[in-house]
Amino acid sequence: MVEKIKIIVNEDKCYLCGGCAGVCPSLAIKVSSSKWEFFQDKCISCKICINACPVGALDFEPLEG
Amino acid sequence: MTEIMKYDVVVVGAGIAGPIVARNVAREGYSVLLVDKKPAIGAPKQCAEGINISIFERYDIPYDKRFINREIYGARIYSPSGYELEIKYKKVSGVILERKVFDKMLAFYAARSGADVLSRTEVEDVIRENGKIVGVKAKHEGEPVEIYGDIIVAADGVESTIARKAGINTYAPPHEFDSAYEYEMLIDGFDPDLIHLWFGNDVAPRGYVWVFPKDEDRANVGIGINSDNPKTAKYYLDKWLKENNIPSKKLLEINVGVVPVGGFLKELAKENVVVVGDAARQVNPMHGGGMAEAMKAGTIASKWIVKALEEENLELLKNYTTEWWEKDGKRLERVLKIRKAVEKLNDEDLDVFIEVLSGTDAEKIAEGNYTEVIKVLLKHPKVLMSARRISLLKELL
Repeated sequence: MVEKIKIIVNEDKCYLCGGCAGVCPSLAIKVSSSKWEFFQDKCISCKICINACPVGALDFEPLEG
Repeated sequence: MTEIMKYDVVVVGAGIAGPIVARNVAREGYSVLLVDKKPAIGAPKQCAEGINISIFERYDIPYDKRFINREIYGARIYSPSGYELEIKYKKVSGVILERKVFDKMLAFYAARSGADVLSRTEVEDVIRENGKIVGVKAKHEGEPVEIYGDIIVAADGVESTIARKAGINTYAPPHEFDSAYEYEMLIDGFDPDLIHLWFGNDVAPRGYVWVFPKDEDRANVGIGINSDNPKTAKYYLDKWLKENNIPSKKLLEINVGVVPVGGFLKELAKENVVVVGDAARQVNPMHGGGMAEAMKAGTIASKWIVKALEEENLELLKNYTTEWWEKDGKRLERVLKIRKAVEKLNDEDLDVFIEVLSGTDAEKIAEGNYTEVIKVLLKHPKVLMSARRISLLKELL
């Protein structure tokens, strides 16, 4: 079973380029001109966004339970 | 209080495809609104800014020195072990744009043709009535607006929020994206009349490092790698700069983004929503260039948008999907196949091919005759000795 995770952003590193939102297969990330948002209920824990970020601004933490 | 607007066509995103559509449709007398979330259209850029010279005439764009940063006469390609292949033309073959000016000017041409243009207008959702999309919800300078349109154009980049909210499948596997990172920086020692490209699996996995000159000593220095790589694009570019003893303390800009390099949308129009540009994954999978493809797609899309409005028949929008796939989709699928074959080359293969081609056959590449080039490679002893190389090259034919 896939480990459930929460995606977290390092806001100091993030350029709000929207790439993570672009590769996310489930619309779990929204990037506007001023903020990065994560929607836990949509995340499928695939971690595609983490690898795709050109600067390594994304990471994850496991969810309990 | 929410402001209400109404247009024939609402174009979301003022990159390349959006303004081309807005301009072309507005020229035919229809009311068009072009919106972009950025306060300054074109900034920040997510691009290496190089484009073929032919686009100006083909897409009716003025050859305006305000956004042409530098004229380019060809390319120099570097293999992992340092073999070089130079392709130089007698005439200007391409230009390095200043995207911040170029994008804004494309929006200006749209405005001059009759379109309304609203920067700092962020579209957040679609508006549905009786299950059908009738417009978009947005914020203009923080204030809510509802923009109704007969046709909605999703030119909203790789995120493709509008297309997805319209139920268009924009999914592409992670391997079909490039992760890109770029410095605009001071750099010496490269012929500023050429673009420079470095290949190698340790240099840029699946992609390449580029130096696109903007001055004698200023350039866009960037990298694209497969986005499913566990290391970041920034890691590889910084490593390359360090290994090549290139000082990286004169950085004028840092640009970041993800580029779709495959996974073209099967369905480019659904009911009254049309998808163009990066949102439709309309990018050349080989080199990651999307501007010319966006212009092509935008031109086809605008033709069918105008016909659909003229005949009051939204079904005609489906012809955009058909025509794009017939004209460009097939070609890009073929390029994608070539990219997948090239991905299998190891560093030794790249060395051999570039070494062989650096001799007498550069002219054939300059002419764009790739089939002839591959035939030449297939005759070379260093290729003939390897069944694997023969097989890889035959995949490219």
